Amino acid sequence: MEFSRIEVITALNRLSNLKQALSKIGVSGMTVIQAIGCGVQNGTQEYEPEMNKEMELLPKQVVIIYVENHKVDQVVDVVKKELFTGHIGDGKIFISPVTNIIRVRTGEEGLDALK
Amino acid sequence: MNDKKIGLPSVIATGVGLIVATSCLLSLGQGAGALGTGFILTMVLACVINIFTALCMAELNAVMPNLTGGLAQYTLAGVGPFITIVTMVGGYLLCQSIAGSVECAMFGNTINSVFHTGLPSSFYCILLLVVLIIANLAGVDIFAKIQDVVVYGLIFSLTAMGLIGIFNAGTGTRVVQQMNISTSFADSLSYLGLGFFLFIGCEFVIPMSPVTKNARRNIPLSMVLSLLIICGMQILVVIGMGHYTKWSDLAASSSPHVLYGESMLGRFGAIWMVIVSIFAVVSTVNSCINFLSRMCAGLANLDMLPTVFQKKDKRGAYYVGVLMIGGIMIAINATGLSNSSSLSFMILVAMVFWLISYIVQDINVLIFRKRFPKMPRTFKVPFGPVIPILAIIGDIFIIFNIDGNPATRAQIYRIDGLCFVLLSAYALLWCRFRLHRPAFKPYEMKEVMAMENSLYLPAHRRAKEEMKKKAEANLKVTRA
Repeated sequence: MEFSRIEVITALNRLSNLKQALSKIGVSGMTVIQAIGCGVQNGTQEYEPEMNKEMELLPKQVVIIYVENHKVDQVVDVVKKELFTGHIGDGKIFISPVTNIIRVRTGEEGLDALK
Repeated sequence: MNDKKIGLPSVIATGVGLIVATSCLLSLGQGAGALGTGFILTMVLACVINIFTALCMAELNAVMPNLTGGLAQYTLAGVGPFITIVTMVGGYLLCQSIAGSVECAMFGNTINSVFHTGLPSSFYCILLLVVLIIANLAGVDIFAKIQDVVVYGLIFSLTAMGLIGIFNAGTGTRVVQQMNISTSFADSLSYLGLGFFLFIGCEFVIPMSPVTKNARRNIPLSMVLSLLIICGMQILVVIGMGHYTKWSDLAASSSPHVLYGESMLGRFGAIWMVIVSIFAVVSTVNSCINFLSRMCAGLANLDMLPTVFQKKDKRGAYYVGVLMIGGIMIAINATGLSNSSSLSFMILVAMVFWLISYIVQDINVLIFRKRFPKMPRTFKVPFGPVIPILAIIGDIFIIFNIDGNPATRAQIYRIDGLCFVLLSAYALLWCRFRLHRPAFKPYEMKEVMAMENSLYLPAHRRAKEEMKKKAEANLKVTRA
């Protein structure tokens, strides 16, 4: 199978523009999970002079998208440009392979289930 | 969520308004007076070099978006605090103070060219500056409110005057003269400094990106279109001037737009240009004082200037900056800036520093590309490093040909060199004793972005004080 899972962890206020941009390039579905978490800064605010010693979990969202492999670069490019502000907390993108996709209602598999 | 409002036409209009000022008309008159329509080639070259620099700045805005300090922050992340202090305090504060002073001098000259009051032009300049300093300190924003209207009035007037001149529709006597009095390509190149002054300022569009629709496309596009529109408008005026005003008279005039208006439309034309330019000067100088005082506060927020510049009066004005900038402008005007040669000399002195700060921005583009090759850029200057390199070469070429006269050129370099030495001394001392950082080591980009947060500096100062107290306490314990 030739599918990938793109998982984006980013700040809560970025969803609207990201959704618009992904819709424009034909991404037809996404799953958004509200979460708390932190990255390498341990949740330190960017203006603070010293990094938190203990992890401070901040509100985040996880956006999950499944696309065909040949669309991964295009989708990642759009996500990167849409989320970029240059500030700490813009987010991270994780890409992993998907072995199959099955639509429960019809039993379709692979590309048919994705479209 | 989406509160962006301004479309491309509005951004272009603002961009044109930010670039065009009354003092540009002096450069236009000087250039046209010396070369006739040959100055058009100079303007086109200057416009192209400016477009290259504008594209570089648009890319910098894409790398570090929505920053209030703009060029200072790019430079801090690109080449470190020393060059930031020298180019931003020198390149911007100093040369904009000079440009503002020249704009102010145009006020006195314009009044005296029509009303012949018998009082020196500098009297009116200083009077205007005192009024504007008081208005800024008192928070009077009437001049800012009328700025758009008067700038559009100036643009409309210049275009109309250009077209009337080209089609020989004026009431004055038509002058028959050789249109192109430039003898060689080298002549056009020697006036590039003056030509460049006609187009500087397009970077002021960048802070509008948060309120612009589709900013990624519209900001770079509006910068380029603004420059092209201004170039077109000024070409019309130069051709029109050739039909109604002797080139030698233009070169000698300290208010060539009034001379052109009078030659073409008589007293009506002169009064028309006087009214438009007086309003334009007042609003431009007012916003210059306001903008520079805010910029001082912004540089203080980056810890590049003393914190005293962040002090506000009860009406919200950064009074230390207002008084300092106003004082510098009064001092420059009190020296008797009035004739055309002293004004264009001051413009060229300012231009060298402005060009150096542009060169630094072009270099920043190349540095960021090398340092962050994979950073997502919503706008990237096409053709790899070609355009930034051409912009650097163009800017250096203009500095080396800032004036056709070698003696004047040497004098300009001497003044700029002295300023550079003084600013370098300040920058080195500041880096060593205030910042405690290496002068040429760039800041991390994430740190520069964090500095945008108003809590950054207080939090870091507090941390430093606490560390100092701890160190002192430890020392006492060790001694005991």
